[in-house]
Amino acid sequence: MNYVLLAPEILLTVLALIVIFIGLLVSDRSKNMLGYISAAGLVASLVYVLGTKGEGSFFYNALVIDPLSQFFKLIFIVVSLLAVIASIKYFENNRNQDEYYALILLATVGMMVVASANDLVSLFVGFELASMSTYVLAGFEKKNPASLEAALKYFIIGSLSSALMLFGMSLVYGVTGSTNITAIIEFFKANPAVSGLDVIAMVFLVAGFGFKMALVPFHMWAPDTYEGSPSVVSALLAAGSKKMGFVAAFRVLVLALVALRADLWVTFGILAVITMTYGNIVAISQRSIKRMLAYSSIAQAGYIALAFVVTTQMSIAGGILLALGHALMKGGAFIAVAVVGYMVLSDNKNAKNIDDIENFAGLGKRAPITAFALFVFFLALAGIPPSAGFIGKFVLFYSITIEAVRQASTWFLIVVIIAILNSALSIYYYARVIRYMYVLPPAGEKIKEPAPYVIAIVLAVIGTIGIGLYPQPFIEMAMNAANVVLGV
Amino acid sequence: MFGEISALIVLLPVLAFVLTLFLGKKLPSGGAYLPIAAIAGSFIISLGTFLEIYPDGMVQQSWPWFAGMNIGILIDPLAVVMLMMVSFVSLLIHIYAVGYMAHDPAKPRYFAETSLFTAAMLSVVLSDNILQFFISWELVGLCSFLLIGFWYHKPSAAAAAKKAFLVTRVGDVLFLAGIVLLYVNISEIITTRAFSIEPGNFILQFSTMFEAAKLIDPTQLTLITLLFFGGAVGKSGQFPLHGWLPDAMEGPTTVSALIHAATMVTAGVYLVARTFPMFVATPDTISPGVPDALLIVAYVGGFTALFAATMGLVMNDIKRVLAYSTVSQLGYMMLALGTAGAVLGAKAVGISMFHLIAHAFFKALLFLCAGSVIHAVGTNDIREMGGLFGKMKITAITMLIAALALAGIGFPFAGLGMPIMNIGTAGFFSKDAIIEGALEYGEVKGDMIPYGMAILAALLTSIYIFRLWFMTFTGKPRSERHAHESPGVMTRPLMILAIFALLFGFSQLGFYGYVEKNFELMNVEIAVHEGEAFHPSPIIVMLPVIVGVLGILISYAIYNRRMLDMSKLVSSGNPIYKLLLNRYYEPKLGADIIGVKLTHGVVAQSGEFIDRKIIDGLVIDNIIGKTVFMLGEIVRKLQTGVVQNYASVTLLGLGLLIILLKIKFGGI
Repeated sequence: MNYVLLAPEILLTVLALIVIFIGLLVSDRSKNMLGYISAAGLVASLVYVLGTKGEGSFFYNALVIDPLSQFFKLIFIVVSLLAVIASIKYFENNRNQDEYYALILLATVGMMVVASANDLVSLFVGFELASMSTYVLAGFEKKNPASLEAALKYFIIGSLSSALMLFGMSLVYGVTGSTNITAIIEFFKANPAVSGLDVIAMVFLVAGFGFKMALVPFHMWAPDTYEGSPSVVSALLAAGSKKMGFVAAFRVLVLALVALRADLWVTFGILAVITMTYGNIVAISQRSIKRMLAYSSIAQAGYIALAFVVTTQMSIAGGILLALGHALMKGGAFIAVAVVGYMVLSDNKNAKNIDDIENFAGLGKRAPITAFALFVFFLALAGIPPSAGFIGKFVLFYSITIEAVRQASTWFLIVVIIAILNSALSIYYYARVIRYMYVLPPAGEKIKEPAPYVIAIVLAVIGTIGIGLYPQPFIEMAMNAANVVLGV
Repeated sequence: MFGEISALIVLLPVLAFVLTLFLGKKLPSGGAYLPIAAIAGSFIISLGTFLEIYPDGMVQQSWPWFAGMNIGILIDPLAVVMLMMVSFVSLLIHIYAVGYMAHDPAKPRYFAETSLFTAAMLSVVLSDNILQFFISWELVGLCSFLLIGFWYHKPSAAAAAKKAFLVTRVGDVLFLAGIVLLYVNISEIITTRAFSIEPGNFILQFSTMFEAAKLIDPTQLTLITLLFFGGAVGKSGQFPLHGWLPDAMEGPTTVSALIHAATMVTAGVYLVARTFPMFVATPDTISPGVPDALLIVAYVGGFTALFAATMGLVMNDIKRVLAYSTVSQLGYMMLALGTAGAVLGAKAVGISMFHLIAHAFFKALLFLCAGSVIHAVGTNDIREMGGLFGKMKITAITMLIAALALAGIGFPFAGLGMPIMNIGTAGFFSKDAIIEGALEYGEVKGDMIPYGMAILAALLTSIYIFRLWFMTFTGKPRSERHAHESPGVMTRPLMILAIFALLFGFSQLGFYGYVEKNFELMNVEIAVHEGEAFHPSPIIVMLPVIVGVLGILISYAIYNRRMLDMSKLVSSGNPIYKLLLNRYYEPKLGADIIGVKLTHGVVAQSGEFIDRKIIDGLVIDNIIGKTVFMLGEIVRKLQTGVVQNYASVTLLGLGLLIILLKIKFGGI
């Protein structure tokens, strides 16, 4: 076994322990350096993930390294990196920084384990590691009731979903006699007849993964949690940990469904369409930008879930690309909201509703870099080229249209049309914020945007536009990952 | 060495754009020196590349982009001469603008936009595929829109910018449709295995296009080339999409010189020249021996040349005269591609490009002289000028040189069989060749109409430009203004350009020889008409010069000597004068009838009715709108904030899913 392939996970785990240990030794003021250490660690593991070629399996095939796992690890590490860089400012001089960074790192490790998991047990362990860490992170602002409420709701619904998922896994084990995903797939291939128990097991898994993906109707926790959590944690949750559900679904559900030859596209089609429509409609009437981003995030999950509808190489590649794009756009957008929060709080220490849309008035003048970045993220989320959001949506919608033509299916075409209409609808609420930022007069003086925030959002902007301008390598990576999903 | 860094030709001005936009306010002269340095860099690299690849080299670089498309650089003879011209003219105009825009508070924006424009134009020129060409082309259009509307507080400027944007958009849509059709056709012949793309080549690269053109269905090919030509018509202000170009003179004069005389408007001609092998490959259904696409190019070009020249005769705004002159000269370039293309093959590209570059020099010069005059007297109206010769000698003389070049004055010694070379201005060499090409086309194909239009337009050209010159610089001052010569930073570019307007013509034979090889280098064969040597009679050879001189004499008689009382002719009672002054009622037809009555009245009103009454009123407000917001309210109420409800919804959803699947698969 070539443990070098696992170096990113090992590195981050060790780093998390070191961060906690340093936290015990140094004074509260010196803890500010922990953010830099964590960021450096994440950069190092990012380099590892990008730099190491090769595939392998570890621990009796419980973890695998393949293009799919590497692509999602890339997403997770990038999001954590953005969140950590922004946190350097957000949690500056907080005396619990050591725990904070250790938890972020452990959450990242959890997500990476999910990305690599090839066994239901390791999958569950990864899920729980990431979930437990993020439960605490969501409630990290102990004195803020909204943060605590967010964490508690997240925790309760999360536990429920874990229970459902675990039940689903136990049913799968009961049917197939194994927890190893490869073995499960082999079993299904040998016994392709769909039994009722298979389907119930799948539904429980869908519910468990759907909770992470925030698919309707398993989404209820998401708006409250994203709104109440510290913005940098919302970035991590919406942009990063949500994708855990997708990678797990790609690895388990798609493979199992293909093996079972169970035609579940109606189910996923309905879930996807309802999710995107619901997210976009509710987003329209929001005044809290974080809440609006939460609903838009639900809508984006709906788009990504379209990948399950046709399960072709191209559709899955599109879903994966949109997941990457969404990570950058949504992560960057939440961090930009954090800048606005910082701006509002520096105006007035006791401000309430700091992410209210009124506070975005004249942002183009008050915080030009942030406003421009938000502008880019919003256009990208609406799917306007050249951006990562456009590439993802384009490949995804195109793949479904092709299937619609190939199979002469009106239903697929209807699904695409609904998705495109949804994209158009979403422009409405993004444009509203853009109008506030650039047309309405500013409410205060120009502020100096703190460097860590600027670095994080500029990196996200570069990523968003860069993928839009030069998508080829990412499309190739996503196609390779899609091959893994389809077991080719 | 220069070839390897040729990407910098585009990237330097882009960098200057970014820096000037953000830091311009803090730099001297509004950051003008950054774009100047960057464009000087582009010019040096272009020149270096030229010296490196001359006489028969090329620069080709290509990077895969996505889905079989690429981003690439192709610097062949055609591109390199354009690169040198664009960067050089742009450089001079940027230097001139330091003086011209000195008092404008929005200098950083001006220099940032012109720098971006230059980058986009250079990117058009060195694209190696039609998609990148189109993207850069759109960027050029956008910059043009921004610069025409540079003084956006002026309603006429804002309207002109809008008009330019909309009218050229018509062409751009056609161009894009052409690209899509081409892509579909190439994909088609790839799937039928009639054609394959070699590794390292990409689907929309010019070389692939030319290869594929032979295999595409001929009717489709004609359609594709005509759609491309539609784009060129929009960008190069050819009839019937010419109306935006004279209005575009609302921008600063430097912009008119840079964009609407020397560079952007030539992009259309460049497009036809670039894709010339496809035009040549179209079938000859209308007139035997003449590819359909070329025939249409020739007629549209010839008609535009004549039509625009007639309007140039009566305009009173100095810049508008030049604008119509530009439209007319662009018509000549199209005419050259069409007529000479049909009889001389690839040589037509050389002839057209030579006129394009000669025209860039003397038209930029004319505009900058006009700018200098406007700067001095503070009006655009030539009726209020006069007698400026004594006060602005440099401007007057350089403008005279430019006017002679535009009128095509020279003497064709060699053409008459004498053992010395032809002597004349740049315009003489370039325009003579076009007219000669049209004549040869007429002789060979028996169709003298293009030649007739070209000769008549040459006469009118000479009349209107000398009308302009005599009215501006000679006679008595017709208004009380204290004119003075412009500062050195403005006159020096004039002198440099004047030298080019005088001497550039002598590079004619070398230029033809070099550019002609262009398609040979790309391994594209173009059928060339091999007829007996063509020897027209001396009077025919002299005819272009004769009409040129005749035009000057007519202008001299009317506008200097006042031998004819113009007040009778130009009275509002004369229907021809009225027709011309009102520009054939094109603005009225375009703006009022098509624009206001038809588009606004019928389309927009009914659109608005549908939008407000049906979509907004019924659908948005009453059906969709209310439903959406009601739904929003309902689901917001679902989002009670009570965590027990959340858990219930989750379980309910789970139950529903199971029921759904039970219905589908049964037997649980």
